[in-house]
Parts: sequence; structure tokens; C-alpha cells
Amino acid sequence: MTKKNDPIPADATAPEGLTLSRRSFIEGLGATAGILAAGSVPAFLSATAGSATASEAAVEGDSLAPIIEEDQAVNYPGKPVKYADPAGDQKWAMVIDVKACIGCRRCVYACVKENNIGRNSGFTYIQVLEMEPGKIDLEKADPHYTEGGDPDKWYLPVQCMQCAKPTCVYGCPVIATWKEPDGIVVIDYDKCIACRNCLVTCPYDARHFNWVEPEVPAAERNPLVPVEEKAGVVEKCTFCIQRTRNGQTTACVEACPVGARKFGDLNDPESEVSILLKTRRVWRLKEETGNEPMIWYVG
Amino acid sequence: MAKKLITTTAPGVYRFIGVDFNIGALKSAGKRYWMFVALLGIIITLGIVAWGTALANGGSVMAMRDNYPWGLWFTNYMYYVGLSAGGLIVYASVHLFGAEQFKPLSRLAVLQAGVLVMLALLGIITDMERPWRAVYMLLTPNGTSPFVYTGSAANIYMIICFVDLWVLITGFGGKKLAQRMTLIALPFAIYLHTTTAFVLSLNKSRELWNSAVMVPIFLTSATASGIALLLICAYIMQSIGVFKFASSMFRSLATLLATVIIIDLFLLLVEILSVFWPTSAKPGHVVRLEHFFTGEYAWAFIPVLILGIGAFVLLAGRKTRHLPAIQITASAMYVVAIFFKRYSLMAMGFSTNTLGQYSSPYFPSLVEVLIALGLLSVGLMIMTLSAKVLPLQVPEDEHDEEPAALGAGAEPVVEAG
Repeated sequence: MTKKNDPIPADATAPEGLTLSRRSFIEGLGATAGILAAGSVPAFLSATAGSATASEAAVEGDSLAPIIEEDQAVNYPGKPVKYADPAGDQKWAMVIDVKACIGCRRCVYACVKENNIGRNSGFTYIQVLEMEPGKIDLEKADPHYTEGGDPDKWYLPVQCMQCAKPTCVYGCPVIATWKEPDGIVVIDYDKCIACRNCLVTCPYDARHFNWVEPEVPAAERNPLVPVEEKAGVVEKCTFCIQRTRNGQTTACVEACPVGARKFGDLNDPESEVSILLKTRRVWRLKEETGNEPMIWYVG
Repeated sequence: MAKKLITTTAPGVYRFIGVDFNIGALKSAGKRYWMFVALLGIIITLGIVAWGTALANGGSVMAMRDNYPWGLWFTNYMYYVGLSAGGLIVYASVHLFGAEQFKPLSRLAVLQAGVLVMLALLGIITDMERPWRAVYMLLTPNGTSPFVYTGSAANIYMIICFVDLWVLITGFGGKKLAQRMTLIALPFAIYLHTTTAFVLSLNKSRELWNSAVMVPIFLTSATASGIALLLICAYIMQSIGVFKFASSMFRSLATLLATVIIIDLFLLLVEILSVFWPTSAKPGHVVRLEHFFTGEYAWAFIPVLILGIGAFVLLAGRKTRHLPAIQITASAMYVVAIFFKRYSLMAMGFSTNTLGQYSSPYFPSLVEVLIALGLLSVGLMIMTLSAKVLPLQVPEDEHDEEPAALGAGAEPVVEAG
């Protein structure tokens, strides 16, 4: 990677997690930079890691700062939605590696179970699109591909992007949906008037209306997620608000067998998503709509 | 209306808030009239049952799904709101532009405008699974949602129409107030149709809707269909003997109609052109609109062009355009064309969803159709009863002085009797 992408702050805490192993290795190098012979370490490493200052830490923070800055609470009524814990000071984001995704739909199934999506509702929060090679052509994509996947195609999982500029939130006539300070777009099931304007304004087909009363087998119910309240109102992916605000990761990230999904906090420079956004070439779906989605794709 | 709220001015005529309700005229109404009212009553009952079914079972009894989040009710919302415009524009031109030939129509036009907007609003209410939550529109309105503007506009416009009708019938405030009401009502009519277009056009997620030309198209379609409906209404009222109009009024209406139709078709044409023209064609747009020319939606969109052009050709013929049959045919063609247009417009946003997935055409379910027919019957019922009961006929000496309104109630009785 380039010089710009690898500076490390002196005050970085001990990193954790899979992708950070290389990083902790580098940091170890930095800590011992004075001892190591300068010639045995690439010049940029010894230069940055050895003398990382507060100003450089700020520079590093800056590379994601515009994104974090843009992602503000929208129409936030001041108190969190009833069925979730209050937002922390995180800024949630997800990165999906489409090169790794094999289209197995395990994220879809895990999500259905975790979020009490009605088994009769006819929708899932996550839609995996089977894409033709060579282009990102949604009109040629197939969300109903046969299980197993085709090695000649590639797979694009789409769900609520928790946009920084959420058209659904702007379009809701009664402020029954809003963006919380940590970036999660939530719906107040007790307020939704079922006008379905959010379904219309969403560019990602991420919102779904409960045309039928959702049926979830009693044994499979997740007590943390409402069920009855969802009849006749709109629901969608919440980045598993019931898990992520309690320190867990989302169900889809947990279920992915190939580790194609990374979820984390952009405010934390050590999080996987922060590192991926800074070190990899990432892209977002339908950038032209200007919704500034908080899910990035890589690969 | 001094002490008693309801007074009688003539046998069978009851005066309430200054309006003479000619209940007596109903007694003398013929058998056919009552059969029609009974038929409407049956359809309204069916509609109420259908609405009850929808409330009890939720949206599953509707044909709408995530791919078609809005269906027949929304088509009708656009349609009714549009139809109500024409009436008001004709009426407004009486007061603002001194088009005296439309003067006899003023009460009918305002009543029609008010009733149609009422139907549009009832359509929304019957679509909601929990209608009582509509109160949040007042408690916590969201300024960035076009719904807030079109909803409030429709409500205010409906109130303006009915107050206006009252002013016109009672002659309250004289010519001056009537003129002032028009000055308020006309901008509101335009505001209402603009915001209705905004509900579609202010969605960057829906490629075919997201066009500024949607607003003028809405206004011209609304005006054209409204004038056409008013023309048909006027002919019906005349044939059942409630009204008498000069043939010059029909000629003026037809000319106005032809003018608006051609503007409407022109705007549609430039929009289609900019979707398909090689230097402007975007894949998403072309794929979406192709369904409406060669795909499964051709039946809904091609008639818009055929009926529209046909109506214009009929009205353009110099030798035949004064004939009532031609005028009625052309008007009916355009009223139908606009319904197809609204339907295709609704489908254009939804047939290919935001993730590019095409879904087969939406056809309303029986429940949706019954609710829509029930609402339509409510409107027809109000118009049918009003034709007998309300003094809709504008007296010869209207607007000269207040007492003119006094005689208004009596005239339909003579005609109907």
C-alpha cells in the first residue's frame, strides 16, 4: 500500500482481530524502530512509525473525517427508538468484499432469524444479486438465482445502506423514521402511517412493507426484536441494532462463511472498516444518487 | 337565517346556513333517478364492506406489494386531484379573466372540484391500515416530505372549494368576495397539482419520475381532463333538464380543451424523446420505458397516445367541432386517456424497481376495485343529490346584488318538476 495509508499513531491501543495482525506487526516494528537497523526496514515505515506524532494522528483521522462528518443524525427526535438501546459514540459502517462473496445466502438466512422477519412476509432485509460479469448492471442482475451460485457470475449483497443522506428519512411525512447519532436508520413501528413513501424514495429497495402479519415460529423468536408491532408497517435492516449496540457484531457478518463482510466503527481508527476504507479501493452502489451509503464494497 | 337554524322559504325548501336545500325536489324525482341512487347506494355498501375487509386483513387483500407500494388508490389520487383542477380553472377564468361564457358553470365547477378532491383524500384514508395515525401528519410533519405539502394542499383546497360554493350560492360578500376567493383558490389549485407531481418527481430513486417536466405535465393533464369532465357533466346536467347552457359556452370549452390537449401531448412527447434519444438515453431509463411501448405495459400506455391524439384531431376539425357528439366523444376519450396516463405513470415508477428488477403488471385486487368504485359512487351520489337539492343553476342576474341568490333555489324545482 502507499505511504499515505499506513501511518500509525503513537497512541494506538493494542489492536485486535484478524486483519490487524499485520498492523500490530508493523507497530511492533515501529516501537523497536530505534533498535532495528534503518536499512532493514523500509524507509517509510521507520519514518512514520518511529516518529508518529499527535498531528499525524489527526491527519490519519482526517482521511475518514469527511465521511464521518457527513453522517449526522437526521430527524432524530432526541430519544432512541423504543426497542433499542441508546446510541453510543460510534459511527457504524460495513464493508463487503464482493470478490469473496460466493452467493451462498447464509447472511440472508441468519438475518431472517435474528430480526424476526415474518416467514410469510415474502421479503428479506438482504437481497443478494447475481451479477453478470464485466459490469454493474442492476437491470441484468438476478436476485432469484438458484442456490449454490455460478462461478461465472459475481454476487452483490444489498441491504439498507444506512445512508448519510437517507432519502427515506427525508421522505417520511410524519418523522416515523430517522437516523440516530451512530448512523443507524431506525423506524418507529408505533408511528408509521403506512404511506410507503420510504419504499418509493429508497434507491436500494431496502425497505419492506408487512402486507401480512409477520409469522415467526414461537421457538425461533428473538426476544430482543419486536414482531407484532411490525404488522402493517415498514421494516428494514438496522445493522442488528439489538446486537451491535451491545458490543456484538451483526448476524450477517457472523454468518458469512468466507468473511466477506466487515462491520465496525468508523470513529475507531483501529476498526476493520476504518482500515479497509483507508487501505483498499472501495466503491459504493449507486453513488450517483448522492445518498452517501454507509456500506462500501471492495474487490 | 335569523333565529332558527333551519327555516323554510317555500314548500319543501329548507334554508340552512343561507343555502336553500330543495328537499322537495327529491319527492318529485322520477323512478329512474331513484334507481340510480339505489345503485350507487349498493356500490357504496360494497365499498364499505371491502374497506372493512382491508382493515381486518391488512394489505394482503390488496394486489400491492413491495414492488408496487402504491396502486389503484394512488392512480386515483392523481386522477381525481387532476380532474378537480379543470373545474376550478374554468371557474377562475370567469372571475379573473372575465370569460363570461363560463359563468353558468361556476357553481357546478366548484362543487365538482371540491367533491373530486374529497374522493382523492378518502382514497388515502381507505388505503391506510391505521387511518387514525394520520393525526401524526399534523403533530409531527416532516418538512422534507412532499406528502406533507400535497396532503395539506388537498385539505385546504377542499375547504376552499366548499366555502367558495357557499359564497357563490348565498352571494355572501357579493361580487368582491367571490373574486377574492378565486384569487386564493386558483393559486391553491396550481399548488395542489404541483405538489402532487412532486410526490413523483422528487424521487431520484425512480428514474422515469425524476423529471421536472412532470410538474407541467401534471398541470396540463389535470386541466385538460378537468375541462373534459366538466364538459361532459354540463351535457348530462343539460340533458336531464337541470341546466340550460348556451352552445357558445360548449364551443369555448371545446376550444380551450383542444389547446390544453396539444400542450399536454407536446410535453409528453419531449419527455419520451429525451428518454430514447441516443445522446441522452440512459440505460436505466430506456429499459424502464421500453416496457410501455413494446412490453407488458403497452396496453396501458399506447392508448394514452392514441386517445390523446384522436381527441385533438376530433376537436381540431373546423367543420365538426361544434357538434355535441364530437365534443362529448373527444372529452370522454381524453378523460379515459388521462386515467391510462396516470396508471402508466404509477407503473413507470414501479414496474422496474430500484434494484433493476422488473415485475409483471400490477392489476388491482377485487377489494381495491370495490373500494375505488365505492368512493366513485360517493362522489356520484353527492353530485346526483346536489343536482336536485342544491341551487346549482346560476340565476340570470347573478352577482348583481345579494338578493339574487334568493331566487336561485326555486329555479331547479321548476325545471325538475
